[in-house]
Amino acid sequence: MKILKKDQIEEALNRMADQAEVYVPLQKGTQTGFYTWQSYDNTTDTLVLDELNVSLPPKQVVFPPTDKMYSFKQNGVEIDIDKIYEAIEPQVVFGIRACDLQGIACLDLVFLTKGYEDNFYKARRENLTTVAQACYQPGQACFCSSMGVDPVHPEADVIISDLGEEGYAWEAQTEKGQALTEKIAELLEEKEVKLPELQEFTLKVEYDGVAEKLKEMFEHPIWEQLSEPCQTCGICTYLCPTCHCFDIQVKTWGDEGYRFRCYDSCMYEEYTREAGGGNPRGKVSERFRNRFLHKLEFFQERYGTPLCTGCGRCIIACPTGISIIKLIEKVKEADTGA
Amino acid sequence: MPNCNCEKPLVPCTVEVIDIVDETPDIKSFYVKNENGVPFDIKPGQCAMVSHIPVGEGMFSCTWQEENEYLQFAIKRTGLLTDELHTIEVGQKLGVRGPYGNGFPVDECKGQDMLFIAGGIGLAPLRSFIKYCFKHREDYGKIQILYGSRSAADLCFKAELFDLWPQIKDTEVFTTIDNAEEGWDGHVGFVPSYLEEINPDPAGKIAVTCGPPIMIKFVIKALEKMGYSDEQVITTLEMRMKCGIGKCGRCNIGSEFICLDGPVFNLAQLKKLPPEW
Repeated sequence: MKILKKDQIEEALNRMADQAEVYVPLQKGTQTGFYTWQSYDNTTDTLVLDELNVSLPPKQVVFPPTDKMYSFKQNGVEIDIDKIYEAIEPQVVFGIRACDLQGIACLDLVFLTKGYEDNFYKARRENLTTVAQACYQPGQACFCSSMGVDPVHPEADVIISDLGEEGYAWEAQTEKGQALTEKIAELLEEKEVKLPELQEFTLKVEYDGVAEKLKEMFEHPIWEQLSEPCQTCGICTYLCPTCHCFDIQVKTWGDEGYRFRCYDSCMYEEYTREAGGGNPRGKVSERFRNRFLHKLEFFQERYGTPLCTGCGRCIIACPTGISIIKLIEKVKEADTGA
Repeated sequence: MPNCNCEKPLVPCTVEVIDIVDETPDIKSFYVKNENGVPFDIKPGQCAMVSHIPVGEGMFSCTWQEENEYLQFAIKRTGLLTDELHTIEVGQKLGVRGPYGNGFPVDECKGQDMLFIAGGIGLAPLRSFIKYCFKHREDYGKIQILYGSRSAADLCFKAELFDLWPQIKDTEVFTTIDNAEEGWDGHVGFVPSYLEEINPDPAGKIAVTCGPPIMIKFVIKALEKMGYSDEQVITTLEMRMKCGIGKCGRCNIGSEFICLDGPVFNLAQLKKLPPEW
């Protein structure tokens, strides 16, 4: 098996960053997330490949928080769209975990299937090479295995496994992975090693049957009860590796401007508020219900997989302690009169 | 079907406003085309994203496509974008992208009598189907149109309602306004109660309705009472939309996206969705 020694990591990232934007898990100040290796400053930043999970997910690599789509110029009544922005630079995401990779798989379903391909997403996605780090020791809020994710065998272009002092095992899975391997070939050693064993998850939940049960629970009192602490801050949606709702907005100055999309949140009142004043989900409980039904029932129904990958970020970040695990348990316990 | 920029579905193509008609004090019809004619073909009941590019973008049902001549959108002034649209003049360039959504089942309705029930701006989407029926008059049976608005001034497409459509073979037009007013000798009252007065026989008939959500609810109730089956009742829904292609998230009802899987549903389909419409 190929091995990348830990003292060669920086050199490997430098080589990859030569021809691609490389995203790695970094701690910057008090914040952890995926940032470009090019932005790494060794006086203030730390590479945190061990962190489970960094607080900002890597979804920005294919779906940035704000994304310029096209610019325009006005001249009286004339308006011309003069530039369409499509990201064509190669990108590498290094150290992504199985949950976040499954998040990108969910985004692929949204942006690339069901009638329309989103060209802005597609350009980034096609130019992305994924190097996933296998997880052998689940984090305290991790429950990916409950959501059908295999933490040890992520579907990435390359899988790396932390072998402690021996370094990282490096296994290319695809042609893209091979190409990346060649780029750092001279930093890799060949060695017989044994991969670690997957340790027990402390958080587990049984998701089987939940989507079916939720079908009967749209008007159940559970939504009023469970949404009661929710402050609709939207942090759960911002940090979620699968949340993909976006708004389209415009920025203008003088006779010029551009139109961009940006993250939106189904927890916000304006999200579904219509120009005429009507709002089908005006109440917090209605928005809360839609968010969890979307994750656990609607997405499952439409795409065949839940829109939750068990990364645990929303559980850690929620200021009022709302937990999707506890919610699933409450749903399972709920009396539906059936 | 030609589609402007179908490779880049969120990027509009530009069209020129060739005519603007005041329909009511707060509804204007905008006629648009580009140098090739229409930017794309659009079926009755389908929608398009219309943008005043520096201001905003909104989903509108297309009121009519005249061959390769123009697309017509009847737009009510209700918000940021529509306020701005109501100030533009002929010659202004706008953005459009589409067509979006499923549209009315014009072929499946062939051979049936048609009952159109609309309130306020709700006539705008139905008009594309009504005009389609008149264009293919022999394909459809008797046509009844019931339309109401707040006041006489608020009735949209008056020339067609009062002069043109009643002259067409086997066609009846019923109009009503919410409150009595001077100079109006027609029916007064809400659309659902007028519908019950007219009491159109469901045999061999398809009812298509659009209007304010509360009107739609009571119209559906009235139709059910008169014996219309779930398959005989069709409506077109609206939700706030941003992308139009089932990705931005907000227009879902259950696992369906109104922009992509709708906006047209029959009552049997609606009853399978969570009661959020």
